[in-house]
Amino acid sequence: MDLVLQFLANTGFGLADYRNLIMIVVGSFFVYLAIAKKYEPLLLLPIGFGVILGNIPFFKGFGIGIYEANSVLHYLYFGVTSGVYPSIIFLGLGAMTDFSFLLANPKLMLLGAAAQMGIFFTYLAALALGFSPHEASSVAIIGGADGPTSIFLTAKLAPHLIGPVAIAAYSYMALIPIIQPPIMKLLVSKKEMLIRMPDLRQVSRRELVIFPVVGMVLCTFLAPAAIPLLGPFFFGNIMKESGVVDRLANTARTAIIDTATILVGLTVGASTQGDVFLNPKSVGIFLLGAVAFSIATASGLLFAKFMNLFLKEKINPLLGAAGVSAVPGSAREVHMMGQKADPTNFLLMHAMACNSSGVIGSAVCAGILWSFLMG
Amino acid sequence: MYGFEAISQNNGWAIAVTGACIVFSGLATLSLIISQLHKLVALLDRPPKVIVDVDVEEEPQAPPRPECPMALEPTVARYLPLIEELEPEFNLADLYALAKRYHLPHPHLSIRCLQDAGKLQPLGDGIFRYSDNSSDKENS
Repeated sequence: MDLVLQFLANTGFGLADYRNLIMIVVGSFFVYLAIAKKYEPLLLLPIGFGVILGNIPFFKGFGIGIYEANSVLHYLYFGVTSGVYPSIIFLGLGAMTDFSFLLANPKLMLLGAAAQMGIFFTYLAALALGFSPHEASSVAIIGGADGPTSIFLTAKLAPHLIGPVAIAAYSYMALIPIIQPPIMKLLVSKKEMLIRMPDLRQVSRRELVIFPVVGMVLCTFLAPAAIPLLGPFFFGNIMKESGVVDRLANTARTAIIDTATILVGLTVGASTQGDVFLNPKSVGIFLLGAVAFSIATASGLLFAKFMNLFLKEKINPLLGAAGVSAVPGSAREVHMMGQKADPTNFLLMHAMACNSSGVIGSAVCAGILWSFLMG
Repeated sequence: MYGFEAISQNNGWAIAVTGACIVFSGLATLSLIISQLHKLVALLDRPPKVIVDVDVEEEPQAPPRPECPMALEPTVARYLPLIEELEPEFNLADLYALAKRYHLPHPHLSIRCLQDAGKLQPLGDGIFRYSDNSSDKENS
C-alpha cells in the first residue's frame, strides 16, 4: 500500500499545483482557438500544446523540465534564449517576402515607421509602471507585433521574461482580428475607408535584386545590433529575388522556417511553467502588450491621415494599421475592412507593402533598444 | 520608483525620442532611396551612345573560275586535231569523250579554257563551233 501511495505522490496527479492547472487550461484554450477558430494556427497550436506540455507536473532535479540543465527541452530552448530561432525565422521570412509592392510605392514605408511609435510609447509606460529599462524594452517591443523580434530582444535584455513576452506577442498577433478593427473604426471615417489606391507600377527584377543589398547596408549601418535579424532577412530575400538559388530559397521558406517555427512555438509554450509564469509581472506584460499593440495600430492610422494633409494623391488611412509587422494578419485585416466599406476596393497589395516595411522597422527598433541598453 | 520620476531617472524620455527619430529617419531615407532606385536602374539600362558599325552583308560572289592550268597556245595546238576529227559543229560532250580517249590531261579544264578564251563558240543546245577570230581579240 505504501508503494502505491508513494507512486501516486510522484505522479502528476500528486504533484499538481493549481498554477499548472490554470496554465493547462490556457494552453487548451490556445489549442481550441487554433483548431476550431483557426486563429493563427501555425503559431497558436505549437504554443498551446507547449503550454500544456510545460505544465505537466514532474519531479524536479531529474533533468526533465525546460529550466533544468541537461533536459531535452532545455537544449531545444537554447535556440530561443540564444536568439538562434528568431534569426532562422527571419531567413525564411525574407525568402517569402515580396518587396515589389513596397518598391512600387515607397512612401508606404513611412507607415511602417509610424507604427513603431507604439514601441516607444509603451517603453515609457513600462518604465512608469516600475519595470527596469531592460524589462521595459522587452515589453515595449511587443508593440512591433513581431514574435521573433520580441523573443530576440527579450533573450538579449531580459531573458527571465521570454515566456510572457513571447506568449503575449504571439497572442496579440493571433488576436489581430479582434484588436485592430475597433481601432480602425474609431479613427478612420467611412469616407476615408473608401479611398482607392492607384495601380502599382511594374517593378523590374534588377530593382528587386538591388533592394536587399541597399536595405541591409542602410539598416544595419544605422542599427548594427539588428544584424542578427536583418542580415538573414535580406539574405533570404536576395536568394528569392536573384533566381539563381531557387532550391535554397525554397528550402528557407519551407523546411527551415517551418522547423524553427515548430521549435520556437513548442519551447516558448513549454517555458510558461505555472510556478514561473503566473505572477503579477506577467499580467502587467500582457496588459502593456495590448497597450503597445493598440498604440502601434493607432500610430499607423493617424500618421496615414497626417500624410494625407500633404499628399495630392491621398492614401487610404486603413493602410496605417498594416504598419505593424504582423505578416500577413494585419494586411489581411486592413483589406477586409476596406472591402466591408467598398467590396470593389482591393487594398491587400498596398497593405503588404506596409507590412514588409513594419518587419524592417521593428527589427531596427529592436537593434536600437539593444544598442541603447547593452552597456 | 514609478511614474514620470522613473522615466526621467532611467533616461526614458531621451531613449524614446531618440529611438523614434532614428527609426523614422532611417526608414524615410530608405524610402527615399528606393523611390529613386528605378531611375538609377533605368540609367544603367540605357544603351551606350556609340556608333555602331553595321556590317553590310556583301553580295555573294561567284567562286573564281579556276585558271587555265596550262598555256592557251599549247592547249589549242593539242585540241585542234581533235576538233578537226569532229563535224564543224559538234557537241561539247563529243570533244570531251575524244580527249578522254586520247588520254589528254585535264580534259574538262582544258575545254573550259578554250571556251573562256572564245575558241569554242556556243551555238545553243550544247552545240559548239571552233572559232579562231576570238583568239586575236583575246590576245589584243
